Amino acid sequence: MARGARHFVAAAAVAAALAYTALYGHIHGLPHFQSDGYSYYVYLPSAIIYHDVTLEALADDWYGGRYPDPTGIRRWPSTGRWLNLHPIGTAILMAPFVLVADRLTVWSNLPRDGFSLYYQHGAGVGAILYMLLGLTILRRMLRRHFSDGVVLATLIGITWGTNLFHYAVFDCTFSHAYAFFLVCVWLWLVERWWERPTLACTLAVGGVAALNVLVRHTNGIYVLLLPLYGVVHWRDLRARAIELRDRWRLLAIAAATGAVVLAPQLALYKWVTGSWFVNAYVPHGMGFDFGSPHLADVLFSTQKGLFFWSPILLLCAAGVFVATGWARKLVVPAVVLFALQTWLIASWTVWQFGASFGHRGYTDGLALAAPMMAACFAWMAKRPRFVPLFAMGTMAAVLLSIAQMIQYWIGVLPMENTTWAQYQDLFLRFR
Amino acid sequence: MRRRQWIAAAAVLVASALALGYLYDPPWIGGVTSGLRPWEEGPPGTLFRWTAGRATFFVPSNVTTMIVPLRSVFPGPDGAPVKVEIRDNGRSVATIVLNDPEEWVRATVPLTPSAGRRRFRRIDLRISRVVNPYVLGVMTGEVSAR
Repeated sequence: MARGARHFVAAAAVAAALAYTALYGHIHGLPHFQSDGYSYYVYLPSAIIYHDVTLEALADDWYGGRYPDPTGIRRWPSTGRWLNLHPIGTAILMAPFVLVADRLTVWSNLPRDGFSLYYQHGAGVGAILYMLLGLTILRRMLRRHFSDGVVLATLIGITWGTNLFHYAVFDCTFSHAYAFFLVCVWLWLVERWWERPTLACTLAVGGVAALNVLVRHTNGIYVLLLPLYGVVHWRDLRARAIELRDRWRLLAIAAATGAVVLAPQLALYKWVTGSWFVNAYVPHGMGFDFGSPHLADVLFSTQKGLFFWSPILLLCAAGVFVATGWARKLVVPAVVLFALQTWLIASWTVWQFGASFGHRGYTDGLALAAPMMAACFAWMAKRPRFVPLFAMGTMAAVLLSIAQMIQYWIGVLPMENTTWAQYQDLFLRFR
Repeated sequence: MRRRQWIAAAAVLVASALALGYLYDPPWIGGVTSGLRPWEEGPPGTLFRWTAGRATFFVPSNVTTMIVPLRSVFPGPDGAPVKVEIRDNGRSVATIVLNDPEEWVRATVPLTPSAGRRRFRRIDLRISRVVNPYVLGVMTGEVSAR
């Protein structure tokens, strides 16, 4: 078990490399820059190759001055400038890989157009590495508090029992693998900040929280982990408020750092729209309807229900009630964030989040689900009579998730709007 | 650093150098394209691909003449001809003017002997207009080279 936990990330790397090669180990028609993947990425070719952050030059060169509608990039009515649906955070995290791809493109005499072979692979490999880095951090945190067997089972459950692996390998230019990494770092930083609030840690807290907001603006809710970490009872809230007041200087430094990190995005919004804060989805007719959220659909439906497509996450719900020690400190923030996330997703116009495997709205926060899952495994490990049955059920959930992920990859499962009749008809069919 | 770390670092360095050497002129690069849609077949049995506003393909470096079939299908703004600039390894070698949108123009492009050591030369097409919403540049047929 110790060996399994120690080498888990290496094993996940091998599995990801094999899957990526099987899917994209060819030179024609790589699909990385389609749909959301395009709009997350487009900042990079625009800045690196066209030296233009307005997105204007790239539109002229490739599309005759107008981005195709599916890219989600439209001119803001009052200024006529391009507003991208998606913020700059994912592109920032992709940048090191795309810069290497750009240099290799020149070296191999491939077209330096921002979309040719190496750029695609650069962005694709980046997502895999961020997932692996996230898992490394998660493993490190879990190993401090749980046995090797529990850590291994949790890492397997999070990686393959959910859609995390899919969003690192298949839809690798979407934001989710990147945000998963940031939430892992965030969890690690928050724990350290409460233990030892150094200046470096404080700066990192501000920077990482802001970067997560730049990846997806609604990820701003994860900031709540900082005040809620370690709050177990209502009565803890008062003590926590005092602790936060005592650390107000550090919080101010973190906030200032966050503001610096957010500044380029805010400046871009201001330049494009005339306002510092913008809902970029407004021109697309999308928004929140908090009055009638699709709660049951988001959690249990065949369309994109979280627990329907990733049943192993039900263990996290059980973990909330049996968590002890470190995991107990995370119960309140995990529950609050899960509830907020669910309300946000369920209130969104496109609550299925379009084409996706499982519900991708939850992939970012899987780092917070992991301690709850581990708590459930640890609780069960103390009841040896039930372990074989429990292990079989867990294994079945992981294998089912992997099978359905492969069905999605090969086009057997619909990309959205799956009905119960379709699901039954396609169950474990691979052609 | 310990001995094992030195060995690992040296191995990474050697592997990187070998990979770079290979990637300078990989044999598969002749099949790489960019900015080109999949092949389609026109009514008379003509194979063609649509470009976007720019497109790239490769031809062997020993080629001295290349014939590129081009058809604009849609005219330029206000009925103006569509222009296709052809570049050889980044150097402009011809600009083809497509006056009649329906006509296939077989552009013959002489190429100077390649000075480099690569097996393939990169041919870029830059199209003067793009038709939205499908981002269509021009049709390109099968390129012949000699």
